[in-house]
Amino acid sequence: MAAIDFLLDMLATVGVYLMLTLSLNLDSGYCGIPNFGKVLAMIAGAFVVAFFPGRILATMLGMSGDFVTDNASMIFQINSFLASNFLISTALFIATIIVAIGFGMIVGYVSTRPAVKIGSGPLAITLLVMGEGLRVIGTNYAPLAGGSIGISAPDVFAWAGGDRFLVVSVVVFVFSVAIFFFVNRLTNAPLGRMLRAVRDNEIAAESLGIDIVGVKLKTMMVSSAIAAVAGALYAFYSGAVISTAYTRASWTFIPWAMMLLGGVANNVGVVTGVFTFVFLRKLIVMYKAELTPYLPFDVLWLELILYGVMVILILMYRPEGLIPEKRTPTLKMSTLKKMQKT
Amino acid sequence: MHQITYTYINLPHLYLLPEKLISPIKVIKDTHNKIVMTKDDLLVVEGVRKTFGGLVALDEVNMKVKKNLLVMLIGPNGSGKTTLINVISGIYKPDKGKIIFENKEITECSADEVCREGLVRTFQIPQLFTKLTVLENVLTAYKDNPGTSFLKACVKRTWIQRETEATKKAFEILDTVGLSHMWDKRASELSGGQMKLLETARALMSGAKMIMMDEPAAGVFPSLIDKIFKHFVELKKKFGLTFLIIEHRLEPVLPYVDYVYAMDRGRVISEGKPKEVLNDEKVIESYLGE
Repeated sequence: MAAIDFLLDMLATVGVYLMLTLSLNLDSGYCGIPNFGKVLAMIAGAFVVAFFPGRILATMLGMSGDFVTDNASMIFQINSFLASNFLISTALFIATIIVAIGFGMIVGYVSTRPAVKIGSGPLAITLLVMGEGLRVIGTNYAPLAGGSIGISAPDVFAWAGGDRFLVVSVVVFVFSVAIFFFVNRLTNAPLGRMLRAVRDNEIAAESLGIDIVGVKLKTMMVSSAIAAVAGALYAFYSGAVISTAYTRASWTFIPWAMMLLGGVANNVGVVTGVFTFVFLRKLIVMYKAELTPYLPFDVLWLELILYGVMVILILMYRPEGLIPEKRTPTLKMSTLKKMQKT
Repeated sequence: MHQITYTYINLPHLYLLPEKLISPIKVIKDTHNKIVMTKDDLLVVEGVRKTFGGLVALDEVNMKVKKNLLVMLIGPNGSGKTTLINVISGIYKPDKGKIIFENKEITECSADEVCREGLVRTFQIPQLFTKLTVLENVLTAYKDNPGTSFLKACVKRTWIQRETEATKKAFEILDTVGLSHMWDKRASELSGGQMKLLETARALMSGAKMIMMDEPAAGVFPSLIDKIFKHFVELKKKFGLTFLIIEHRLEPVLPYVDYVYAMDRGRVISEGKPKEVLNDEKVIESYLGE
């Protein structure tokens, strides 16, 4: 039983990180945008779950009271209602994901627009600051997501009863697989070539008629929408949104480390990086107690220290990652060879 | 300096009429009735000035480049040649003056907009997409590919036909510049001369009407310079292209040049046929010093 729980937990964690790291790979790996604010769109998606579905259902069910202060009792009633209403639960889940996509796109545009023309450095700082900013707003403005205490989200998988954990984990993973194919489609099309061109040489791309500002903005909108979906799914999975949990270390720097380990601008590499990291993380969590006597520091720091050491080693000895960027011709190689001969 | 006002008359069908019938119409004049642009002119630079702090890089530069010619821009180091190309191509905005390309003012256009008008540039140090293959470098320049749209990229059938056409065209162009055998190599694996040819191939793929080149022979093996310029002459004939080329090494390239502009200290000091310009005292003085 513990093994199944471990696998399901890993499935869901891999799913969330896969979506997040694929979106990072799209904007940073392919397009060269230094996105150090990946957590921003993730929080945006989580806040959509914290803010909208609960209030909508509370209104639908004619509940009175404040959704934040009376959160526990209201969510209890809402979840009881959702447990026996599969269709409403599913409709609410889909609607929330759609709103999260829209909100993610807006956040992607708004966070990128101010500094996109100035250069990589200012853009990186702006994104980093905005990611932090939204978390701080969420922590201090209670109506958004319950402030520092957090807020419970409606359980749209309550209908699954005892299999809820299984269902939500599979749903998260299925979403991540769908997003993998979506991102792969984008990057294997002429669009992927254009993004890599913008990343490789902005001056050359611009002098060949590519509107690099437009390309970067659109890329950030799409990648932020993916990250917002990850944020929304993570909120549904955990059943609550606590702003303080959305740290830049967990949701920006670890996806960066995963991408660097697996391979920049290689989606299969990203999958490898995510699986390796998540597996390592789960192992550390599982064997924390056993490791404690052997460590000269608190075992809590082991995970972050290992990540840091790993990133340093990757950058020093294998900067291209485990699976380096590959040529991705838009047409079949056999077709290209035939064309070259004729 | 008087304010120039332009009257744009774009009636392409008049090209079919006899010269004397269209010449009174197909001109652009300033307020002093001076002809600024005729139907043969592709690019006109009028009174362009560019300063960087206190340094005057371009000072009232006037230039006209006629269609289907290979025009050379010469001058000693620091004379403003590269700055002029940067201003024309939209990388820098001029402080004053106007730039007209194909009857359309492009003074305030950004670099990508200038390229989309058909005026493409290459760089002194080739600016390639080093992680992309030779073929991908050329394909990047293909305009209006539906596969570059986020909405259409997911649906292969919306872009596969155009992509196939573009790839065929890219191979033809690579064949023209002699790089088709290297189509699968990464751009970073090419020699200096081949990189310059790849930049030219990209410019051709973009549908350029005019190509501005910053020292295409710099750092290139002498025997390859002749080959490169023969290619340019072929391209000029084959695609009806116009070239504006900055070059320091005059001797090996002069046989291919139709017209020369000489610059010194941000000004055009001489223009005309190659021999006339090279024998101009002002030009000799600018190269040898006073």
